[in-house]
Amino acid sequence: MSREKLQALGVDLPMLPTSTVGSFPKPDYLVEARAKAGRNAITRTELDRLEREATEFWVRVQEELGVDVLVDGEQYRGDMVAYFAELMGGFSRGGLVRSYGNRYYHKPVIVGEVRWLRPMTVAWWRWTQSLTDRPVKGMLTGPYTITDWSFDDHYPDRKRACLALAREIRKELVALLEAGAKIVQIDEPALSVRPEELPFAVEAMHTVVEGLPAYYITHACFGAFETIYPGLLDLPVDNLDLAISHSALDLLAMFEKDPFTKDLSLGVLDVHSHVVESSAEVKARIMRGVGVLSKERVWVDPDCGLKTRSVDETRGKLAAMMAAVREVRAALA
Amino acid sequence: MTQVIVTSAGSYPRIGDAPETQRHRRAYAQRERGEISEAEWQAVEDEVTREVIAEQVAAGVELPTDGQIRWYDPISHVARALDNVAIDGLLRYCDTNCYFRQPVVRGRLGRTEPVLLREFEVARAAAAPHPVKPVVTGPYSLAQGSILEGGYRDHRDLAYAYADILAEEIAALARAGARLIQVDEPFLLRHAEDADVVDQTFATLAAARGGAQLACYTYFGDALPLYDALQTLPVDVLGLDLTYSPKLVRRIAEAGTAKVLALGLVDGRNTRLETEAVVHRVLDEVLPRAGGLVYLNPSCGLEFLPRDRARAKLETLARLARTYAGGEGGRR
Repeated sequence: MSREKLQALGVDLPMLPTSTVGSFPKPDYLVEARAKAGRNAITRTELDRLEREATEFWVRVQEELGVDVLVDGEQYRGDMVAYFAELMGGFSRGGLVRSYGNRYYHKPVIVGEVRWLRPMTVAWWRWTQSLTDRPVKGMLTGPYTITDWSFDDHYPDRKRACLALAREIRKELVALLEAGAKIVQIDEPALSVRPEELPFAVEAMHTVVEGLPAYYITHACFGAFETIYPGLLDLPVDNLDLAISHSALDLLAMFEKDPFTKDLSLGVLDVHSHVVESSAEVKARIMRGVGVLSKERVWVDPDCGLKTRSVDETRGKLAAMMAAVREVRAALA
Repeated sequence: MTQVIVTSAGSYPRIGDAPETQRHRRAYAQRERGEISEAEWQAVEDEVTREVIAEQVAAGVELPTDGQIRWYDPISHVARALDNVAIDGLLRYCDTNCYFRQPVVRGRLGRTEPVLLREFEVARAAAAPHPVKPVVTGPYSLAQGSILEGGYRDHRDLAYAYADILAEEIAALARAGARLIQVDEPFLLRHAEDADVVDQTFATLAAARGGAQLACYTYFGDALPLYDALQTLPVDVLGLDLTYSPKLVRRIAEAGTAKVLALGLVDGRNTRLETEAVVHRVLDEVLPRAGGLVYLNPSCGLEFLPRDRARAKLETLARLARTYAGGEGGRR
């Protein structure tokens, strides 16, 4: 683990640090309130109050379960790209596009030079951190994923759009670090969609983080990682968070061939399944991880955000994960 | 002189942003809540099919599709109707922001009745006097998108089994009057090493095509490394996505083509509208080597775009085809 880096930042974590990927399910009252807000049936102030209530609920859940590095649960975000696009300059909302079944979303459109206008996540990070003594991660979406999940009517090509976004996302990172964030997760779930574009995705991440002191995690879920490994290791981050449970753990076979050189957040819960894993199942997944990598370099978390699960499923899954981690810690101590 | 036919490449957005264009979405929700019958739901699907065909024709498309309005996704639509197939969770569809449900194959595939025939007949009646082009996902992509739990040794065998099933579909479509049937194989571009599997599956499909012509469309990737292999497929038409691969244009210009080409000229994945300069430059290079007939179409189905932009893409394509054909420049 880049434990020295974390310690230099003033963050002391146990063996196999635990965290979550970012989102938690919104309680029913918040889902209803967001729908009402969309119809202007409640005020922004009232929605904000409910978002804070839900955020505090999830902070307490994480604390009770014993999670080491907390998240704010993204109770105030809808989509991980649209949230940023709506707050930045240079985007328009875009028309409805189908995702699957009867699910549609407004896919953002880049219509001009992208611009960071004001902090987008800092107030939420600051408030969440004020609720707990445990470290809270800053949570950003990376420039490559924002590019890939937006239409582009402005830039001549995807690379230029991505690098322009990187310069603006860096400003948000600076603001987060100024507020006191020590650990920042920069999500790039789209990273493996076009393997030939990995070089400029890496260049963009350099633009975002270079020279800024924090422990960086990049989450990249449900992709064909064999197509971008080991090039993925060129990302200038400390920790790669990969969806291990969903890929039947075959990523670890890749690591045996090309050694993994970073810390690894081992995504051990299948967030797309309603089934709550047993702690024995989770323990087996963790043991596969620590069998390949040094225990000092392994973090444990779910394999993606939990927002599509119910509150009870989320609690159950995280409880299984924490029980498994405690057993493994005891066994390895 | 090359004959140019403007066609669609598959899917079309089923709703727009205006409330009056969201009938399909509302009916879908009503059906899920059990508020409308299957017959009422089917009537809405038919109505929306007719609407999107009319929209394509109004935009200048000479060979429309049914917009694949009934397809939950490109992989599970046919598979869910087959014996020994269950439908599983969501998986990202290639590099798009859309998801498909993975078929789980647990035994030998079987088919009791045509899956696509009625869809085609509705579309054909709606498009008349224009012909309509049925579109089906190919055996190789169906196999790649499936989870194999039983019945077959590996995904190659499964692709051959899907080919046998799809051959029956193609025979039925041909008997019903389809003149050109589009078979999509986007997954091939990610697995060039399996070109021989695709070749064999198309041999099975070609044997069943009757009086229809077959087109193999690839997209979501660079077809350049496979250009020679694609030229030997037992098909009449090759659909190529030119938006991913600028070098493919040069390759066609140099090597020519043994097949009729369907050129994916406008980007079905991005909202920006193509300019005359860009499109006409491609046509300048390709058409002298394209033979007597060429199809012009978007790079892929248009369901990845908002409805208004999908229509604008087709209007742009049709307009640029017209101006190229002689209106303004009199180039050809």
